[in-house]
Amino acid sequence: MTKQWAGIAAFAALAASVPFFLGDNPYIADILITMLMMASLASAWNIVGGYAGQFSFGHAAYFGTGAYTTSILLTTSGIALPLCIGAGILAASLIALLTGAIVFRLRGHYFALASIAVAEIVRLTAHNLEITGGAQGLLITDITFGNLDLNSKEPFYFAMLFLLVTTLAISLLVRHSRAGYFLLAIREDQDAAASLGINLYLWKNMALIVSAALATVAGSIYAIYIRFIDTSAVLSLRLSIEIILTTIIGGVGTLWGPVLGAALLVSLAEALRTNLAGELLVNSGIITEASPIESFLKNNLAHAHVLVYGIITVLCILNLPKGILGLFRRKQRT
Amino acid sequence: MMAPLLEITSLSKHFGGNAAVSDVSFSVEEQRIVGLIGPNGSGKTTLFNCITGYYPASSGRVWFSGRDVTGMKPDRVCRLGMVRTWQRVKPLAGLSILENVMTGAFCRTRSATEARMIAHEQLRVIGMENVTQKTAGDLPIGLKKKLELARALATGPKLLLLDEVCGGLNNTETQELLEIIRGIREKGTAVVFIEHDMKAVTRLCDRIVVLKSGKKLAEGLPSEITSNPAVIAAYLGTGYSHA
Repeated sequence: MTKQWAGIAAFAALAASVPFFLGDNPYIADILITMLMMASLASAWNIVGGYAGQFSFGHAAYFGTGAYTTSILLTTSGIALPLCIGAGILAASLIALLTGAIVFRLRGHYFALASIAVAEIVRLTAHNLEITGGAQGLLITDITFGNLDLNSKEPFYFAMLFLLVTTLAISLLVRHSRAGYFLLAIREDQDAAASLGINLYLWKNMALIVSAALATVAGSIYAIYIRFIDTSAVLSLRLSIEIILTTIIGGVGTLWGPVLGAALLVSLAEALRTNLAGELLVNSGIITEASPIESFLKNNLAHAHVLVYGIITVLCILNLPKGILGLFRRKQRT
Repeated sequence: MMAPLLEITSLSKHFGGNAAVSDVSFSVEEQRIVGLIGPNGSGKTTLFNCITGYYPASSGRVWFSGRDVTGMKPDRVCRLGMVRTWQRVKPLAGLSILENVMTGAFCRTRSATEARMIAHEQLRVIGMENVTQKTAGDLPIGLKKKLELARALATGPKLLLLDEVCGGLNNTETQELLEIIRGIREKGTAVVFIEHDMKAVTRLCDRIVVLKSGKKLAEGLPSEITSNPAVIAAYLGTGYSHA
């Protein structure tokens, strides 16, 4: 466990020094911020999905609730930024509590199904209310926080990094405490867990609320960073699924799996979007710009990152049940 | 006279029109070993499930330590000091042996250090202190049964309900386990023990309760049970009762 704390500290120090090497490169900074955000979201999801084994297919609801609550409060009231983020946490925790309180009375796949339903209710509500800007979305202008330059990328890089490190620290604390053993027992066998005195209902709800609260903060930071949110960006089922895939591909139920998954998938999405494969082939002279292969790659692959995620997920589930992180672990365990 | 540790009064469990357990009463004194026997399908496991809160009883009451625990959830029953094991073992398959037993120990402590100490102690009692890091799901059935016993003991129970803990074990393993159960009783825990192996039951138990088709057929000392014509008939068929 001390080793893992050292790992988190080393990661934090390394990641914190990146901006100083990088200088002013907004393109790379944007990719890194997205990576940190997906890593935070996947780590947060991992607490309820990976440790407690309760697959939430609606984590976008918490992310989006954070984004909307914070944005609305920032634009319509004079409340200070940290309080706006706090309000987001409160709102999303309430949604998590309501969902969990009802659905965790049932077992099996009901929670997964209900989480989709709740997320869709939240999405449709946001889509039709006036205060959320409806389908047009919400523009966030004129925000300040202390003397931070909120037009630069740096504050957001550090904010997301802080969130990720906090999420990792909470995960590590939970995993090695009584709560962690209880969550893992629930994942492995609910009847056995109950026979050992574990209150299934209570601990599943606890896991969901902690997970939801962390996902909310990611949403709040994202909204202030992008300055524009709409339901398709922050409340979509696609985002919920990307969070799950990131965790599964990286290594579900592990500390570093979600981080690894985010690093890989965000890079991959970017490579696909910019048609990196096609460019490489052209630049290395294997194909010409006019070749049908290049035009196929350019026209199709760029929009196919979710498809590629899906294929990787299937391969991971079939061959790497512990995700890509499991590749490195296999030797240690036996 | 002190109230018994566990008292079951007219307990019934119906599945639709099917009475899996009907009107069963018996009690377990502190520090006793009670055997629960009966042919397959006589309602032994269903009775366990009703006592420990996995099934709601259709009627009747369960008293434990002077409290009415009828209809109480399994986790609360465990925290009151009554813990069960499973006929079909339920290890926390992805966790190590030590982690399995620690999970049980967290029933009585919040501290991970303390839970680890309790777990090591229980694994020593059960004779598994040398394999603590193995993954529970990979163990052979004999070790899984022992692990489940250690995990149940780690919760610090006053009453242990064992559902065919010797099933699938060879002779040596069974002997070992019976010794361990005797040791558990010496330390002050009462045991209710579902078992098919009559030799094991008669040697170990202070009292025996016999179920047949969900009803209590007989109850008494092992010597009374083995000479009870109704019990012999239930187990061997009526032709043997006068032999």
